[in-house]
Amino acid sequence: MSSSVDQRRSVFAASPSSPDPRPVRPTPGQRPGRRIREKLATAGFLAPAVLLVSALLLLPFASTVYRSFFDDRRISGFAGLDNYALFLSDPALTRSIQNTLMWVVGTVALPLLLGLAIAVLTHTGGWSRVARLVVVLPYALSGSAVAVVWNFVLTTDGAANQMLKAFGLDSLAQGWLLEWPGNTLVMIAANTWQSAGVAVILFLVGLQTIPPETLEAASLDGAAGWRKFWYVVLPQLRTVSVIVVGTSLVNGLKSFDLIWVLTQGGPGRASETLAVSMYQETFLALHPGAGAAVAVVLTTIVLVASWLYLRRQLTPKGN
Amino acid sequence: MRSIGGAAHWSSHPLGRRSVLAGIGAGTVATLAGCARGDSTAVKPGTTSLANDNATWDQGYVAAGQELKKLTGYALRPLSNPNPTSYKQVTQISLQTTKATDMIKWASGYFLKSLARTGELSDLSSVWAAYERKGWVTPQTREAMSYRGSVYGIPLYESYYVFFYNTGLFRKHGLKAPDTWDELLHNAEVLKKAGVVPFVATQTGNWPAYEWFQELVSKVDPTFYAELISGKAQYTDPQAQKALQIWQDFMNKGWMTPADFDQNNGPAALKTGRVGMFLHGSWQSQGIAATGMKPGVDFDAFVMPPVEQSTRRSVITESGVLAVPRKAVSHEAAMANAAHWLDPKVQKVWTDFLQDASANPLSHPGNPLMAGLKDRALKERWTLLPRYGESGPPNLVQGNTDDLGSFMTGASSPRSTLRSMASRASKEWAEWERDEA
Repeated sequence: MSSSVDQRRSVFAASPSSPDPRPVRPTPGQRPGRRIREKLATAGFLAPAVLLVSALLLLPFASTVYRSFFDDRRISGFAGLDNYALFLSDPALTRSIQNTLMWVVGTVALPLLLGLAIAVLTHTGGWSRVARLVVVLPYALSGSAVAVVWNFVLTTDGAANQMLKAFGLDSLAQGWLLEWPGNTLVMIAANTWQSAGVAVILFLVGLQTIPPETLEAASLDGAAGWRKFWYVVLPQLRTVSVIVVGTSLVNGLKSFDLIWVLTQGGPGRASETLAVSMYQETFLALHPGAGAAVAVVLTTIVLVASWLYLRRQLTPKGN
Repeated sequence: MRSIGGAAHWSSHPLGRRSVLAGIGAGTVATLAGCARGDSTAVKPGTTSLANDNATWDQGYVAAGQELKKLTGYALRPLSNPNPTSYKQVTQISLQTTKATDMIKWASGYFLKSLARTGELSDLSSVWAAYERKGWVTPQTREAMSYRGSVYGIPLYESYYVFFYNTGLFRKHGLKAPDTWDELLHNAEVLKKAGVVPFVATQTGNWPAYEWFQELVSKVDPTFYAELISGKAQYTDPQAQKALQIWQDFMNKGWMTPADFDQNNGPAALKTGRVGMFLHGSWQSQGIAATGMKPGVDFDAFVMPPVEQSTRRSVITESGVLAVPRKAVSHEAAMANAAHWLDPKVQKVWTDFLQDASANPLSHPGNPLMAGLKDRALKERWTLLPRYGESGPPNLVQGNTDDLGSFMTGASSPRSTLRSMASRASKEWAEWERDEA
């Protein structure tokens, strides 16, 4: 990214006929007082954003990092990395990491595959608009509302078991939200039902940006069906795929609302993800130090994963 | 191009930008000042503010406040924050400011002790002593209201943990409220055969997971329960093992609802006869009455009989508390209201609203169902035991409730559940004692 910006800068700076009327450097005739005023004004305009981000994001984060090195006794003392060591010793946190990994894999792979499949299938055809609407609609609902609806379906007395019993499949009826890892898997499925919609939209936009000439040329060269999709269409959806995977990755890592409404991380903390553990430790178990350590670990994972992924995938040209 | 030119034009009039900046700055300052001047807790003559986490009780507070006003000159002004977690955080922080509410609703037991040890609550020992002289409190309740010998809370209500049942359903199957353990088992068997789930039991919402634990342990041995919750007995002791064996046996027989049963559906399930007996706080009476069933007529309640007939009868009780912050804005008025809260005239209005019982033994509940149970408890001298939720350091209760939730889904055996609870107990009690020291 930075290299392209540098290139553009150098072009503007070098070109004598630069369209930018603003001087790159102040002209010697400009008064210094005015320059200072201009700088002050610039700083003034930047200040609200800088202050807001600092006050609402950076300072709390710094204080969370600081808090994570202190224990949770009444008079809190320095504890070094003890709170971080809980990830190795506390079975609830170990389970939470396992669940978070399952969520990441599930929320990246399922929306990507389903979103792509639905977008390709509904891209053309008369019924495609309706089908697209049906798929995209859940995305407009809030996570909590989706969870409430799924709660009706997934509880032991819920719609899923009633339907199974109606078809004589009593043996398949079970407590969907009561046993691990089944409860995490059904919640990932519920989440996919909602989040696949945005992947569909993005892939549809991607499909529409593929120049018809390319597809025509591919057809003339004899490519059709699967081969055309694999060698011509898919490579041109790379940028969209990068965005879908990137957002799904972050969403998977910070999954909270659906889990909170459906199981509250239970039974017995079995379905917690790191985001739920953070809340559970801080506000319910009253372990703010441990909660801060979970928050720091989660934030670090999200930032590092996003950075590594996007750095690899997004080239300066954006393709 | 046009926009760039525009920018150049703007820069030639720095005064304009400065005006914009000044405007934004002034606006921000005004907004912050406005926010900082929150006056919901400010002095309002003739009233005391009462912070609480249940907006549906506002009407009751106002009605009880009218009675209080006749006695003290101060009515109640409820300030509700309907989210219990956020209520806890906000209250704890506001106690340290100069704008603390006059009175707060809080949980009893170790939740109150945790708050009292911050030094932000007023000592109500003299108020309690006056109540004791009048016979308006029972000595058994004092421990759950005190910290290091001093009282910091006045009981807001006193609920019992009872089994609600549909009288019509019981009549239909020839059953009556059980007075012995065998009668309870008989009822469950008959109901199960008739296709009715005998008992409501769930871990949905987390805390209900300990309802059956406290009930069974206290009915196996009430003395053991009292020792267990004060850290003097072990979770791995035979009494606790027996309680969990009974519980598992009930689950295996299909006598309990699935562990993800929503208790909000309990009243409807009771009315339609889908469940037979609904174990819950007596405050649930209001919710069952809301389905159109009349207390004492269409539904009634009993307290679980002891497992062995020779065991002393006991009942699990739950009390919220009213506390007065040290920095209450109208401190004197709040102390006056705390000193008159348990007056039978105030309690009459309050318990009629709640449809529950008062902590004042001389106050007669308007709800016939509660009146009957309370009379019997007094007459037969039942042991009153505090609810598990407030009977230990909060971290211990939270962790052990999670373990019980896990047990209810069959994810852990009685033995491993109790082992886990015991190891947490020894750690958390040691931590509590260390903090105290």
